Amino acid sequence: MNASLDISVRGLDVNFGQARNVLTGVELAVRRGEFVALIGASGCGKTTLLNVIAGLVPVAAGTVTIGGAPPVAGRGDICYVLARDALLPWRTVTGNVEYGLELSGVGREERARRAATYIDKVGLAAARDLYPSRLSQGMRQRASLARAFAVGRSVYLMDEPFSALDSQTKLTLHDQLLGLWETSGATVVFVTHDIGEAITLADRVLVMSKKGIGVVDEIHVDLARPRSAEALQADERYHDLYRRTWTALKASAQ
Amino acid sequence: MTDVANSEAKLGSAARSVGGRPASIFAARAAFLAIILLAWQGAVDSGLANAAFISTPASVAQSLWHLFRDGEIFPDLGTTVLEITIAFALSVVFGIASAVVLDRNDWLNRIVSPFLTAFNSMPRIALGPLFVLWFGIGIASKVVLAFSLGYFIMLLSTLGGLKNVDRDLLLMSRLFGASELRLFRHVRFPWALPGIFAGLKLTLIYCSAGAVIGEMIAAKSGLGVLLQSFSGRFDVAGVLALILIVALLVMTLTSVMDLVERRLLEWSRGSTDVPG
Ligand SMILES: Nc1ncnc2c1ncn2[C@@H]1O[C@H](COP(=O)(O)OP(=O)(O)OP(=O)(O)O)[C@@H](O)[C@H]1O
Ligand SMILES: [Mg+2]
Repeated sequence: MNASLDISVRGLDVNFGQARNVLTGVELAVRRGEFVALIGASGCGKTTLLNVIAGLVPVAAGTVTIGGAPPVAGRGDICYVLARDALLPWRTVTGNVEYGLELSGVGREERARRAATYIDKVGLAAARDLYPSRLSQGMRQRASLARAFAVGRSVYLMDEPFSALDSQTKLTLHDQLLGLWETSGATVVFVTHDIGEAITLADRVLVMSKKGIGVVDEIHVDLARPRSAEALQADERYHDLYRRTWTALKASAQ
Repeated sequence: MTDVANSEAKLGSAARSVGGRPASIFAARAAFLAIILLAWQGAVDSGLANAAFISTPASVAQSLWHLFRDGEIFPDLGTTVLEITIAFALSVVFGIASAVVLDRNDWLNRIVSPFLTAFNSMPRIALGPLFVLWFGIGIASKVVLAFSLGYFIMLLSTLGGLKNVDRDLLLMSRLFGASELRLFRHVRFPWALPGIFAGLKLTLIYCSAGAVIGEMIAAKSGLGVLLQSFSGRFDVAGVLALILIVALLVMTLTSVMDLVERRLLEWSRGSTDVPG
C-alpha cells in the first residue's frame, strides 16, 4: 500500500440494507495532506460517501481505510463538519469551541488557550461571549470551523458547510478555511455544489457520476498557494478551470 | 468582522430591553390591582352584589390579619406546606427519573405509554376518598393525591423535552467522541431544561391543589380543613383569605423558579432569528 495514501476506498458498495445499491464500485484515493473537493448532481451519493468514511453508514462490499484503519464513528483522528453548524445553543462561542476539545479529552487550561487562538483565527474574537442565537449564519459557521480545527484532527470531512451563505461571506470563509487548513497539514474531503468554491479550495476536484458509480472525472487545480479567494476571481486560469469543471459536471449528469 | 459582532451584540441587548422599564410596569400593575379592588368594593357598596356572597376586599384583609395575628393558621399552614413540599419533591425526582428511563428505553416506553396516558386521564381528585381509605387521614393520603397529579406532569414535560432533542447536536457530539453519559449531560439534559422548568411550575400548582383538596376530603389539620370549616360557617372572607394565602405561596415559589430559569436559560433569549 502507498504510504502517502490517507483515505483509500476500493470497490465500495452501499445499499442501506436494501436491494438497490446507492453506491456501486466506488474508488477514491486521497493523499495525506491533500485537499479534495467532491462535486456531483444532487443525490449522487456525496454525503453517503462521507458518511461511509466517517463510519456512519455500513459498507456492503469493498474496503475503506483511513490512515490504514477501518472507519469507526467517533474516531479520534477524524473530524466531520456537518452542513448545519450544530452549535450548542446554551454555550457561548468560546464554550462551543471548548466543547470539541472537552470531548477530545483536552485539559481545562489548554482548552481555554486553544479556543481563544482559534476563535481569533476565524475573526470571532469580539463575539466570543455571545450565544449562537445572537450570531449571523456566517458567524455560526465560523464558530463551527474554529471548533473543528481547534481539535487538530488529521482528516477533515466537510459536507457543504457554506451552502447557506451568500457569496460575499463565502469568500471570507474560504480564506479562513484555507488559513486553518494550511497550518494544520490535514487531509480534507470537501463536498460542495459550488464549482468556484471547489476550485478555490481544493488541490483536486473530483466529479461524481449521477449513476452512483463514484468518481468519473477529476480536475487538477494547479493554482499556487497560498490562495486568496478574492484575487482568484480576477485570475484567468481560475475561470479556465471553472469552465473545465463545469463541462465535466455536465457530462457526469448524463 | 469585529464591527459585525459588535452591532449584533447591541441589537440583541436592545431587543431585550424592550418592555423592560420595571418602574412603569410595577406602577401599571398596582393600578390594575387597585381597579379590581375598587370595582369589587364598588359592586358591594352600590348594592350590585351581595357582600354575603362575595365579601369585600376590606373583610378579606381583616380575615387575613386575624388568621396571622392569633397564630391560628400556623399549624395548618405548616401541614399543607409540608405536604406540598414532599409531594413536589417526589414528583420532580421520580418524574424526571422515569422520563430519562423511558427516553433511553424505547421498548419500555412503547409498553407503558398507554398506561401512563390512562392514569393521567383519570380524574385523580375523584380518587381522593379512596386515597384516604388506603392511606389514612394523615398527611400520607394528601401527599399521594398531590403526587399522583404532579408526577405525570413532571414525567410528560421532561419526556417531551428529551424526545425532541436536536439530532444534529447528538450526531456532532458522537462524532467528537462523546460517551452516552456526556451526551446526556451536555446535550439531552440542557435541551430538555426549558420543558423541565415548564413542568416544575405546573407541578407546583397541581401539587398545591392536590394537597388542599385532599385535606378538604378528610384530614386532621391543614388549610383544607380550615377551608371546610369556614365554608361551613359561610365565612366567605375567610375562604377567600385562605385561597389568597395558597395563591401567594405558589406565586412566591414560582417566581423563585422563574429567577433560576432566567439564569439557566439565558442563552435562549434575544434570538436574531425571531425578534422578541
Ligand atoms: N438513510 C438512507 N436510507 C436509504 N437511502 C438513502 C439514505 N440516505 C441516502 N439515501 C439515498 O442515497 C442516495 C444518495 O444520497 P446522498 O445524500 O448521498 O446524496 P448527495 O450526493 O449528498 O446529494 P445532495 O447533493 O442533494 O446532498 C439518494 O438516492 C438517497 O435517496
Ligand atoms: Mg448531501
